[in-house]
Amino acid sequence: MRAKRTTALLAVVLAAMCAALAGSVKSAVASSKAGPTITIWADQDRKTAVAQLANAWASARGATVNVLVHDFGKIRDDLGTVAASEAPDVIMGAHDWTGQLAANGLVQPIILSAATKKNFPAYTLNAFSYGTAVKKLYGVPTQIENIGLIVNTKLVKVPTTFAQLESEALAFKKKKAGNLGIAVQQGTNGDAYHMYPFFSGLGGYIFGVNKAGNLDPSDIGVANPKFLKNAALIDKWNKEGLINSKLDGSTAQNAFLKGQAAFWVTGPWNSDTLKQSGLKFAIIQVPKIAYPSVPFLGVQGFLVTKYAATHGVESLAQDFVANYISTADAQGALANASGRYPANVAAGKQFKDPVLAQFGKAGAGGVPMPNIPQMGSVWTDLGQAWVRSTKGAGASKAASSFKAAARAIADKIG
Amino acid sequence: MSTTTASSAGLPPKMPRAAFTPRLISLFSGTVGLVVKVALLSISNAFAIWAGYVLAQRHQWIGLIVLVVATVGIDLLYFGGRRVLPLKFLLPGVLFMVSFQIVPILYTIDVSFTNYSTGHISSKSDAIRQIQLNSLQPPANGKQYTMAAARDAQGKLVLILQDQANGETFVGTTKGLQPLPKSAVKTGALGITAAKGYRILKGNELFSLDSTIRALKVPTQGQSAISPQTISTAAELEPTLRYDAKAGTFTRITDGAVFRDNGKGSFTHGNQELEPGWKTGVGLRNFGSILNDPLVSGPFFRIFVWTFVFAVSVVFLSFAVGLFLAIALNKKGLRFQRIYRSLVLIPWAVPGFLSLLVWQGLLNDDFGVVNRLLHLNIPWLFDGNWAKVSCILVSFWLTVPYFFLVSMGALQAIPEELTEAARVDGGGPFQIFRKVTLPLLLVAVSPLLIASFAFNFNNFNNIFLLTGGGPTQANQPIAGSTDILISYTYKLAIATGKGQDYGLASAVSIIIFVLVATISAVSFSRTKALENLN
Repeated sequence: MRAKRTTALLAVVLAAMCAALAGSVKSAVASSKAGPTITIWADQDRKTAVAQLANAWASARGATVNVLVHDFGKIRDDLGTVAASEAPDVIMGAHDWTGQLAANGLVQPIILSAATKKNFPAYTLNAFSYGTAVKKLYGVPTQIENIGLIVNTKLVKVPTTFAQLESEALAFKKKKAGNLGIAVQQGTNGDAYHMYPFFSGLGGYIFGVNKAGNLDPSDIGVANPKFLKNAALIDKWNKEGLINSKLDGSTAQNAFLKGQAAFWVTGPWNSDTLKQSGLKFAIIQVPKIAYPSVPFLGVQGFLVTKYAATHGVESLAQDFVANYISTADAQGALANASGRYPANVAAGKQFKDPVLAQFGKAGAGGVPMPNIPQMGSVWTDLGQAWVRSTKGAGASKAASSFKAAARAIADKIG
Repeated sequence: MSTTTASSAGLPPKMPRAAFTPRLISLFSGTVGLVVKVALLSISNAFAIWAGYVLAQRHQWIGLIVLVVATVGIDLLYFGGRRVLPLKFLLPGVLFMVSFQIVPILYTIDVSFTNYSTGHISSKSDAIRQIQLNSLQPPANGKQYTMAAARDAQGKLVLILQDQANGETFVGTTKGLQPLPKSAVKTGALGITAAKGYRILKGNELFSLDSTIRALKVPTQGQSAISPQTISTAAELEPTLRYDAKAGTFTRITDGAVFRDNGKGSFTHGNQELEPGWKTGVGLRNFGSILNDPLVSGPFFRIFVWTFVFAVSVVFLSFAVGLFLAIALNKKGLRFQRIYRSLVLIPWAVPGFLSLLVWQGLLNDDFGVVNRLLHLNIPWLFDGNWAKVSCILVSFWLTVPYFFLVSMGALQAIPEELTEAARVDGGGPFQIFRKVTLPLLLVAVSPLLIASFAFNFNNFNNIFLLTGGGPTQANQPIAGSTDILISYTYKLAIATGKGQDYGLASAVSIIIFVLVATISAVSFSRTKALENLN
């Protein structure tokens, strides 16, 4: 028994030593590998394009890159919890994360050269800028997106005024049972994003701008007087059945594709669906109601994290984002990979996609989604105000719904 | 299962054929057992060494100590003699309980006493560094340069700079800018490639000096200085805030406003706040706001009542129906028994995430199948009270199979002699069920009822995927009609203030934990009473 036990102990010790040896050899190999490595978080769709670009950049600079696939929706929050040794130096991100990331101190300011700045529409840079005291740029925009009104030109004429849109949509709805007015998605949880053109068209805004040019979370425009003056129109639309909050995303899409809706509010993520549908369509901005019915603009781009400094590769990471991702070639490649319009103006001129070009036009004058972290308090309430006032029978008056929403938002922001 | 038949004669008396468990034990105590033991321990030790290596690399000394103690303990224990036998069985369970139950609870408690939230996630020193970095701004007419790091003849680190606007070239040191003749500097596609009298740093030599080069500041005028931005560019920047390390305050240079540590993880001046802040202890403030903040405390009681109603009705409805089905399908000689049983189990076989989303579509009041088929016009999801009904019904649908299975098992465990005896004594079927079957069944099932209650009390998935807590109520910013405590906590955590307030959410979680624990403890003590009755 004693002998057995000794052998066993020996075996355990031996195995442990082997493992230790293997571990240290592996780490020695890792540390002797040449050149610093930049780690990039990109989503599945754009991983290949990002890896190609990053490798081209890296071989020119003598560095190496490691592109990791990370679920796009999780990048923002995971950056706050990831261990420093595993953290990325560069991330892909949406512009409306900027406030939260900067308020958490997770991203580094980026300084673009004057020549580079000229290549970007001012709003795209503004979308990635944040600061309560000093406004700084935290990301280089790569692509832009917005929703538009898709019109089935076989069924109806492309409207030029909102009155025309309203009468055509209602006439179409009356033609057959099951037909819809305007297919714009809401559902139980509401969808303030897809409703924004109607919101802005009635005079609504989310946050005002203060003297320093920053979004002011204490100035909430969800129930501003101009908007309230026009809010009765929502009650009218609800009564006519022009829009209906019970319509969710998939129902809206199916209705349009099956020809049960002549108007559909959606964005470029459905451009392949549209192209494959075989329908004849045009994409326009929702016609002006009382004010231009502009959509929200979404900008995506690349950001340098604070971990780049921790890892001692900040200059390289900054070089990749500020000097390379900003170039027209890189932006064109990314735009092709993701089916979105490039942010870089020169790349945009070379980008030929008829559907995306129409979406681009539908975004004229649009408003970037507010990028301050307080926006998190707005989405649900604004969406629910629409849900409550456009749910058909039993809907509450729009003016009171939106007033309640404004109060709730103010309470939450505190 | 009986041991009497197993221990038959015919086998050598030295090795009596024992029951399954002792046989298994005897199988594993020989050489096979030793080999398995050594293999498992080796794996555990190898894993521990790898983990220890990683922990040491990251300077996680407490974690390392815990790891070493645990590993050595495991090794000693499993080579120990008979005296520690019970521990051999207890230890793995205890270890898993500690790592997956106790540690998260301790962590939640720890977080609930901090201000961990958007803007307060890093350490104070990190925050100060970031504030300083964020405060840099290009001065009026600030210049931008193409840059290369280089060493001069003495080997000192300098910056070779070329003004991007007019092409003038300089050498920058910590003393300031010195003009260089344009002809001395050569540039290529990637910036400055050579400078006469200087050796341009390239490749790994350049990359390894990253933090040193970035710290190099070339003063220009006033507070402004040129500092490297990328490996090939630099910019002239001016601080807008000055940090006084001794006083621990920031001073705004333009107007002299002083930002002080407000004790809650931020530098503030009046209502102005410098971002980012840092994570720090705030004592009982989070618990205080549950009591005092009307936004949080207002709907708390109402949500608690609804959570309770939801959990209780789901458990009792599904138990009642599950039991009924179990009895009905337990009838001997029933044809297609297996088919019926499989049909009842279908809701369980489909992933809940999927079926919840499907139900959301089915219940849509204008476009959903339910209303269309039944020619109804019920606002299943858009009216507060109906949405509550929907939540209960769908959760009920998802839970019935569980209680069907459990009841079927428990029914088969009730000895037939008992029911037969009752029948002989002249009891009717209902009487037998009430007086004999149900009490015996409850002994077995009531712990499961309590567990199911605790599960449904925190059934985030069902609520969140079906209604998202909605529809909202007028004058109630956060909680919707169907929000249960846990989904309400989630909303509190992500949808207030600047976005995420983990500290407050942790405090609410602890309260929920206490509530569920109390309710379960009381119910369990009741169950004991039930057992004693028998």
